Amino acid sequence: MSYDTEHVRNAGNGPAMITGLPTFTDLLTNTNLADLYTAIRQSPGVTAPELIDQVAVSKKTVYEYLHRLERAGLITETENSDGTSTYDAEEFELTLTIRGIEVTITPTLVAVIAQSDPYPVINRVCDEHGFVTFALAHDLVNAHSDGDVTIRQIATLTDLSHGTTYDLVEALYEVHDLGDDDPSLTTYTPDDMDDNELQSELTDE
Amino acid sequence: MTRSEHLFTANIVDTVIFRSLGKSPSPHLRSLKQAVSEADTELWVPPSVYRELTNYGVEPPKNPYLDTGIEEGWIRVATPLPTNRNTAFDQISDPVEQAQHLADDYLNQQIKYPNTNNWRDASIVALAVRLFEQNTRIRVITHTADEALAQACALIPPEFGYDDIKSEYYNPPQKAKQQFPTVESLSWSMK
Repeated sequence: MSYDTEHVRNAGNGPAMITGLPTFTDLLTNTNLADLYTAIRQSPGVTAPELIDQVAVSKKTVYEYLHRLERAGLITETENSDGTSTYDAEEFELTLTIRGIEVTITPTLVAVIAQSDPYPVINRVCDEHGFVTFALAHDLVNAHSDGDVTIRQIATLTDLSHGTTYDLVEALYEVHDLGDDDPSLTTYTPDDMDDNELQSELTDE
Repeated sequence: MTRSEHLFTANIVDTVIFRSLGKSPSPHLRSLKQAVSEADTELWVPPSVYRELTNYGVEPPKNPYLDTGIEEGWIRVATPLPTNRNTAFDQISDPVEQAQHLADDYLNQQIKYPNTNNWRDASIVALAVRLFEQNTRIRVITHTADEALAQACALIPPEFGYDDIKSEYYNPPQKAKQQFPTVESLSWSMK
């Protein structure tokens, strides 16, 4: 039977031991740990030897990180019929609310942190401006790809410099493979546009 | 000779495009200089774009993206555009200022967080109208990576009778590295 209490929702759905809480926040500061978790999430059923080939840390560190992630409940280990261990990642949300600001750490953000080596601006924003600013900028870049904000607005809303904002926009477009797949440009001409809204502005004079 | 053969093409370029090409010297900027020459055009930026690309951390401030092109004469920085965002639209007679207000309003309607910073975005549209006002034989191509701004560039100048405009939208922004410094992107021939 599932039930909620003041601090726990969906209790009663079986054992859910969560220990090693620092591992959750380590995912935001330890690029290699984030990379390992993301590799497992992207390849369900992956084995430790396969992970050792994929990530940039030693065999010993891979096993240490697997143990930490498992203790935190972020991955589960299952055993194949041939005796090899395979790993699956668990989805999670860690929501922090302080002084009215709420920020949620998710696997999507961890996957971006894991790309800090090729895109140093990701770490730079996290280190110099904090995780809330990084998460905000991340979401606004996604909104930019939908046409909902301009790049100057992202800079203003996050209080990042123009240069950092442009670097982050470019990095996150590449990390998330945002944008049009068509290599040609989109060209707007006056014939493409519906000027009804502007007409109302002009006739209001 | 037809009318189109008499027209000069000017290109107005947003900050993000130059950011994509990198600081001078860069192979992309060398390609751009060559393409500008072959397309027989010139590049324009509003003063706000110049300021956004300037490094004020050195004395005197330097613009590593634009200064070389400005010195060589193929990039031009416009004289200051209207700055008073608070003037009521019906009290403005200058088409350039009207265009900037209309672009500002249009962006406020189109995007999720209105009134944040659209005035500087709108300067791209205002510069297009100014170039039309000051040159009878001109057509304009704008280049930006913001969708709503790209649409505003194609929508607003025709309200002032200027239809010889097209607006290039770079999505994703890094598409500018390869697609912007080309004769094709800087020339008028319609697709």
